[in-house]
Amino acid sequence: MSVLARKILRTIWSTRGPFLAVVAVVVIGVSVYISMTTAFYNLNRSKEVFYRENNFADYYFHVVKAPQEIIKQIEAIPGVIKATGRIQKYLPVIQESNKRATARLISYPLPMENEVNRLTLLSGRLFEKYPQNGNIEILVDPQFARANNLAPNDTVTVVAEGKRVSLTVVGTGTSPEFVYPMKDAASLMPEPDSFGIIMIPHNQAQQILNLPGQINQVVLRLAPGIDTEELAEQVKKILEPYGNLADYAREKQLSHAVLQAELDGLKTTSKILPLIFFVIAAAIQFIMLGRMVKKQRLQIGVLKALGYSNRQIIIHYTGYALVVSIMGALLGTLLGLYFASIISKAYAQFFNLPEAISGVNIQAILYGFILSMSVGIVAGLTAFRKIVSISPAESMRPEPPKSSRKILLENLPWLWNKLSPSWKMSLRTAGRNRVRFGITMVGVVFAVGLLIIAFFADDSINYMLKKHFHQEQRYDYLIRFTSPLKEHELLNITRLKGVLKAEPFLEIPVKVHFKGRTEEDLLVGLPLNVTLKKLHSEKDYPLQLPENGLLINKQTADKLGIRVGDIVEVETLLGIGPSRRACLKVVGINQQVIGGGSYIALDQANRVLKEKQLISGAMLKVDPGKAGQIEEELNKMTGISSVISRQKELNNFHQNLDSLIYFTAIMIIFAVVLGFAIVYNALVISFSERQRELASLRVMGFTAKEVSGLLLKENLLQSSLGLVIGLPFGFVMAREYVRAISNDIYTLPVVIYPKTYILSALGGILFMMVAHLVAAKGIKKMNPADILKDRE
Amino acid sequence: MAKNILMKLDRITKNYTMGEITIEALKETSLEIVEGELLVILGPSGSGKSTLLNIMGGMDLPTRGLVLYGKQNLSEAGDEQLTRYRRTDVGFVFQFYNLIPDLTARENVELAASLVDNPLPVEEVLREVGLENRMNHFPSQLSGGEQQRVSIARAVVKQPRLLLCDEPTGALDYVTGKMILGLLAKINRERGSTVVIVTHNTAIGGMADRVVRMRSGKIIEITENRSPVSPERIEW
Repeated sequence: MSVLARKILRTIWSTRGPFLAVVAVVVIGVSVYISMTTAFYNLNRSKEVFYRENNFADYYFHVVKAPQEIIKQIEAIPGVIKATGRIQKYLPVIQESNKRATARLISYPLPMENEVNRLTLLSGRLFEKYPQNGNIEILVDPQFARANNLAPNDTVTVVAEGKRVSLTVVGTGTSPEFVYPMKDAASLMPEPDSFGIIMIPHNQAQQILNLPGQINQVVLRLAPGIDTEELAEQVKKILEPYGNLADYAREKQLSHAVLQAELDGLKTTSKILPLIFFVIAAAIQFIMLGRMVKKQRLQIGVLKALGYSNRQIIIHYTGYALVVSIMGALLGTLLGLYFASIISKAYAQFFNLPEAISGVNIQAILYGFILSMSVGIVAGLTAFRKIVSISPAESMRPEPPKSSRKILLENLPWLWNKLSPSWKMSLRTAGRNRVRFGITMVGVVFAVGLLIIAFFADDSINYMLKKHFHQEQRYDYLIRFTSPLKEHELLNITRLKGVLKAEPFLEIPVKVHFKGRTEEDLLVGLPLNVTLKKLHSEKDYPLQLPENGLLINKQTADKLGIRVGDIVEVETLLGIGPSRRACLKVVGINQQVIGGGSYIALDQANRVLKEKQLISGAMLKVDPGKAGQIEEELNKMTGISSVISRQKELNNFHQNLDSLIYFTAIMIIFAVVLGFAIVYNALVISFSERQRELASLRVMGFTAKEVSGLLLKENLLQSSLGLVIGLPFGFVMAREYVRAISNDIYTLPVVIYPKTYILSALGGILFMMVAHLVAAKGIKKMNPADILKDRE
Repeated sequence: MAKNILMKLDRITKNYTMGEITIEALKETSLEIVEGELLVILGPSGSGKSTLLNIMGGMDLPTRGLVLYGKQNLSEAGDEQLTRYRRTDVGFVFQFYNLIPDLTARENVELAASLVDNPLPVEEVLREVGLENRMNHFPSQLSGGEQQRVSIARAVVKQPRLLLCDEPTGALDYVTGKMILGLLAKINRERGSTVVIVTHNTAIGGMADRVVRMRSGKIIEITENRSPVSPERIEW
């Protein structure tokens, strides 16, 4: 090892505190980068492989029913690679406990080889078309199987065409369209105990649903580069006579959209978050190396006098930064790969992807190293100018005293004169080292901002839950009937002991047409005097249901550019009975934190369908003491397809949010380490710079505590300013972060409770004080006589 | 014996800006340095002697005037040329030793040795300055005299033609100081290096071949010493 290399190592050892602090920041930057990039890469690769191998559909068409021969006609359209006709239907599942669940039954033509949305078997065996024992064989999705303890040969009972049908589970399977098995966009989270996917041979589905020779869904693989909209029009024309219900491209397929949203969010975060750490690591190193060059001015002069060239000396000092980078990258990679495995494990639970989500992404590691090294090189080279400008002869002389200028505050004599000499010293030091002061302050701003990011998700989700479950939904149970009923039949339910109130509703899936554009929506008819559901405007004013007119859902209004006063046309997509069209006047725009739907009066909803007193479900308020009993009774009724308990929904939500705590904890650690590193390094530098000054004070008779108080004042100046700016900045960061990762499916309201500001401020004070205590240890160890004797 | 001129300083002036004031450290000073001589430059602080030494060593450039080292014009040399000159031809000994605190005695010498193609063996040089038992100590573990000896070893190991010493005894006690002077005289005698010592201690002039006296940035007298005495016999 060359002597200069040994010198670096000893310099590192003698500055090990600040060295480790900056390494820690680099480690975090690299580990966040590697873990997120690796997780993104692995998830994305699993997705792509799965989609390709299983022929994931590019386009979906739903009809009431159509003869299966129609597929040949559709396949003949140029640009269609493959068309698969199948049956998809939501069926009530009757569980042993009598509890209600819903299944999405999807049929698969056998053999499946080239079909669109082919299945992948995860466990057990594939179903047979005609099993010898006469059973109807099915596969279920693994989450549903796990949540309901389903093993091969267990049976699942569904209600089809008014009859109970027993289906025999032979295994679990998955397909690209239910990587994330969610019932509908309103559910927000999978509820595997009450919703599952049932995969069944096509012939069996036709039989149990009484649809011989029929299909109700067409899924297409399209040639790349064709005009999909135009092609969709052609397909719709062919399907027209069979009752077009819905059609959408892959982008709108729920499972895909959720997975894609996760991927997009991951990608964005993997770029933003590490950047913060890298920039701050570079900034810390910039001030560290700047100070080191200054402190070793004499040594640099000696090296030059000995005949070392500028280049050699610059390389030497850049070497220090590179050691930081290499150590940071090495440790960061190890930690990052560990985090990546945790994230991937979580994804494996969330998403049904058969390809293992794991693997080391060499490219990410390489980039991690390059990023980290660039930070080191940039920081190292910033010391460049100072090194070159040092003349060996001049460096032997003591530095001329800094030109002491007045700082801004001194123009306010009434304030300045009131300050104690120690405050004046601290303020002047800050005034003289504006760059360092600024960098440290910005670092604190970011650290506090990250603390807010760590805490705010909990606030926003709590706000959402509170608003949704306590303000918007006032009911205890929401029940849906297997098919629409007449309103008076509700009496059967109202009569149940303990039911305090029952309010009906009629849900009609519709297409909303406005100015040539179309969006799908759910029209919900409610009684005019509804009390169990509250509607709010965009600006959070309560909305009154009008006798005539529509309270349109904000998302739909935004997408179609609808404003209050506009007339929209709705087209019903019930799937039973003829499709109806009606024009409705928009009298308000309603916004809900969770879920959607556009609201009209129940009577008007019936008029749209040209029906009378039809209802599709009801909301119930019950006596809390009798809830269990009522639930049992409801589950026994055959006409009910689902029973949703508000309490259970809430619990499910909370359960799913458990993982949030890990995210929060990790972010807090990161933010505190970052804050500590920057404050601690600034203090150590300030201490070393003012060592003589502080030593003189000690000689004069100041105690170590008084001297450390001087440093504390300086720390307080920059950190408190950072803290004060950091809190509102955290809100901006949170808002921008949410904006960056928002999409059609999720958007989080940016709500920050005072508690979060207080916790973040406390976190900030914590890292400030710890940094101060660690840095102040040097003051006690300081031997003033030694310091003053030396010529620096 | 014909005198061989190693370096020629011709009417050099050096101005410094220290903070907001300008100091004229050297005023049109001329001097020739003879190969192999032991030259002592005497003068009170502020007389410009250190500035002169720095210019000789390629550590600084004159504001005006000519510095010739053999055929090289150092007064117009670029950074690269000066670096090369310092690396191969000059050794420095400073008043405050200026050792690298993070390196041991041996490593400080190695640091210099690694710069040239044919350095003296590091351990031999350290033995020569009497530090064979202190080689692995850090500067903070050495006495002032020991540190100065490391500093001399560090300068000598490169086999420089010119050894420049700025107040080499300034921070040392009498006995140690004399020992260091003895070491410098020995190097001058045995290795044939040209040695220039800058000091305010007039007694040291007694050991020189020539003595240059300076005051206020000017040379006021140059005397040749027919019979230099050995450092052991110098008293102050």
